Amino acid sequence: MAGLRVVCFVNQFFGQLGGEEKAGVAPQLMDGAVGAARAVQQALGDAGTVVATIICGDNYAAEQPERATADMLALATSQRPDLVIAGPAFLAGRYGVACGALCAAVQSSLKIPAVTGMHQENPGVDLYRRQVYVVQTGSEASRMLDEVRKLVSLGLKLARGASIGAPAVEGYFARGVTRNVIATTSAAERATAMLLAKLAGRPFTSEVPLPDFQTVPAPRLLKTLEGATIALVTDGGLVPRGNPDAIEALNATRYGAYSIEGKTRLDAAQYDNPHRGYDTSYVKQDPHRLVPVDVARELEHSGAIGKLHEIVYSTVGVATTLAHSARMGREIAEKLRAAGVDAVILTST
Amino acid sequence: MRLELRWSRVDELAAAATTRLAGARLDVDLEALRTLLASDSRLARVQLDLVHPGERCRIGRVFDVIAPRAKLDDHVTHDFPGVIGGVTKVGHGVTLALDGVAVVATDQQADPVAGSLSVIDMAGPNAALSAFGRTHNLVISAWPASGTGRSEYLAAVRLAALKAGVHLARTAREAAPDRVETFELPPSPRVPAEHAHLPRVAYVFQIHSHQRPTGVDEGILYGDPIRRMLPTIVHPNEILDGAVVRGFMGRSVTTWALQNQPVIRALYAQHGRTLWFAGVVVTVAQATEPERVRSAFLAAGLVAHTLGADGAVFTKIGGGAPHVDMAQAAAQCEALGVKTTLVVEDMSTDGSAEGMLLFNFPCMNALINVGCSQEALVLPAMDRVVGADGLAAQLQGEARTTYGGLCGAIEQVGATNVMAEVR
Repeated sequence: MAGLRVVCFVNQFFGQLGGEEKAGVAPQLMDGAVGAARAVQQALGDAGTVVATIICGDNYAAEQPERATADMLALATSQRPDLVIAGPAFLAGRYGVACGALCAAVQSSLKIPAVTGMHQENPGVDLYRRQVYVVQTGSEASRMLDEVRKLVSLGLKLARGASIGAPAVEGYFARGVTRNVIATTSAAERATAMLLAKLAGRPFTSEVPLPDFQTVPAPRLLKTLEGATIALVTDGGLVPRGNPDAIEALNATRYGAYSIEGKTRLDAAQYDNPHRGYDTSYVKQDPHRLVPVDVARELEHSGAIGKLHEIVYSTVGVATTLAHSARMGREIAEKLRAAGVDAVILTST
Repeated sequence: MRLELRWSRVDELAAAATTRLAGARLDVDLEALRTLLASDSRLARVQLDLVHPGERCRIGRVFDVIAPRAKLDDHVTHDFPGVIGGVTKVGHGVTLALDGVAVVATDQQADPVAGSLSVIDMAGPNAALSAFGRTHNLVISAWPASGTGRSEYLAAVRLAALKAGVHLARTAREAAPDRVETFELPPSPRVPAEHAHLPRVAYVFQIHSHQRPTGVDEGILYGDPIRRMLPTIVHPNEILDGAVVRGFMGRSVTTWALQNQPVIRALYAQHGRTLWFAGVVVTVAQATEPERVRSAFLAAGLVAHTLGADGAVFTKIGGGAPHVDMAQAAAQCEALGVKTTLVVEDMSTDGSAEGMLLFNFPCMNALINVGCSQEALVLPAMDRVVGADGLAAQLQGEARTTYGGLCGAIEQVGATNVMAEVR
């Protein structure tokens, strides 16, 4: 595939325009391989040609990122490339972010592969590794050609449509997506082997990364309960009969807001439950087992709580993606706050 | 307790005038077997099909798969006790087993929602992904008699499949086995001095999830629907010998995988070499928090205090709640100093690594996965569809499904090599 057209991107330093004093230069296109891009050409050998090098100053890219990316994308487009290689940016933060942004833009606009490389502590890794292949490099450019070879090797595979191996094999940061593969032994055999390693204190690698969930500290209630407005929210799937918001039985993307105004109790005949993750028969018999409007109204009448919020928010919490869970939670929280709700009783299953 | 599995290899499965094992060819009198299975008043009609590896055939509406097994001394010890016959203890003596052949039960009431039906491909790339694409299969299609409820129908279908499995395996009664496997485990405290240095490993086997309560005729452990079961110790041989069959809602689990329990086999394979197999605790995923907490510490107590295990392997059955239930029991084990490894399914519904797990216990740092059942899979066009007469048009051409829709690709108990890799 000698005709593979490659466009490179480097910053002002690796493009040999200068140091910090040149960090403000706007994106510009140079013919052929310039500066660090010469290492890309060397690594490519006969497999392709660096037809042009885009150079952009670090500050220019950091201060107006959208414009810089759009300008560089236009320059790259003009060269009709088959592959874009950005960086490697090593530990240079502004440069790494610009590399990631350009690669993401190239992939989505030109539908061609783009590869970059950086050190694991470069902020560009966390920002872009889900979207683009970011090859793991050292912190400094001391082994430039060796590092570039890794980028080029992965880039060539992508450009040729070859299958891409695991992150540890190919040297890129895990993109956080899963794919089924065939292991050499059964899960039961692997479990036994891993347990023996754990018991012996030998190193082992979990096949599922440990979660890194963001923790949200519970806010303090700034009033007494007697003066507070309390809302009922559930992910247990209670909906009015007919499920008017068509909340999905699993993998939900929607939630409903249901008025309980004027109700001292929930009439089972008026409610339903599409949740497919637990035995809903008891909740269908008596919705208060999930959403305790009855008791909450008693507390409201006795003055134990200030007021029961008149809207119940409900969704189905089973096989819901983290992204949708977080979004729905945020939206519900914003509505509750806007309505002056002080605290929430969240019932799950 | 000592169990002997006498294996006879089947290379050919053929319809014939008499049912017998002739060398590696299993002849089946289909009409006689059909009559036997159709005698159940809950069933209106029974149809039998034979399908073979390499045949461009798709089995649709798969409900469960059974390994053909029969007790040699069946006048003393019953096959699938509590389900087919009376309740007798199994796990000892001699059991006849056929290799290379399986019984596939279909569910003619399965909701024909696109992509949700469970299928088996006998040729093409998906045949290699499932153990049942490589076996000769007797496919049972049965339709309910009028007035038969859903649970009664499934009980009848499962019973027919178990009976068919026994019927086939009995042909090996006179045959010289191709190989003999023995499973022998002494009482757990009696470790010989030369093996005392080995780590003691237990298996915590979740056999059902009460996300959906079992029906009265949904026998799972020795025929019991285990509605109120607390964690209990059983001998691993009992499980290998038919004491546990799958419930009616079998998400990525077959009775075949329970009869060939892969974790029990893996622990037996290492027993006396790198570990000492301390025993098996069977559990149920509970539906409510108090039940879950109680079950978790009772299971951990059996593992740590009764079996005296240093480590334990866990598997789960069902969806998300069982996944958390398993982790809670494992956390209790870790709290008692028992190291754990969990076999989980990749639970993400959007293919993201962050969605793989539904729990967050820092001590659960040794996780094995059986793959993502939601990942898309292409079903190539086939020449013939069996087990789903009414849906032949829909299932014969190229279609899309998921790994979870290909029966035998993912087994939650860890029988297959599919795994989700973070890319």
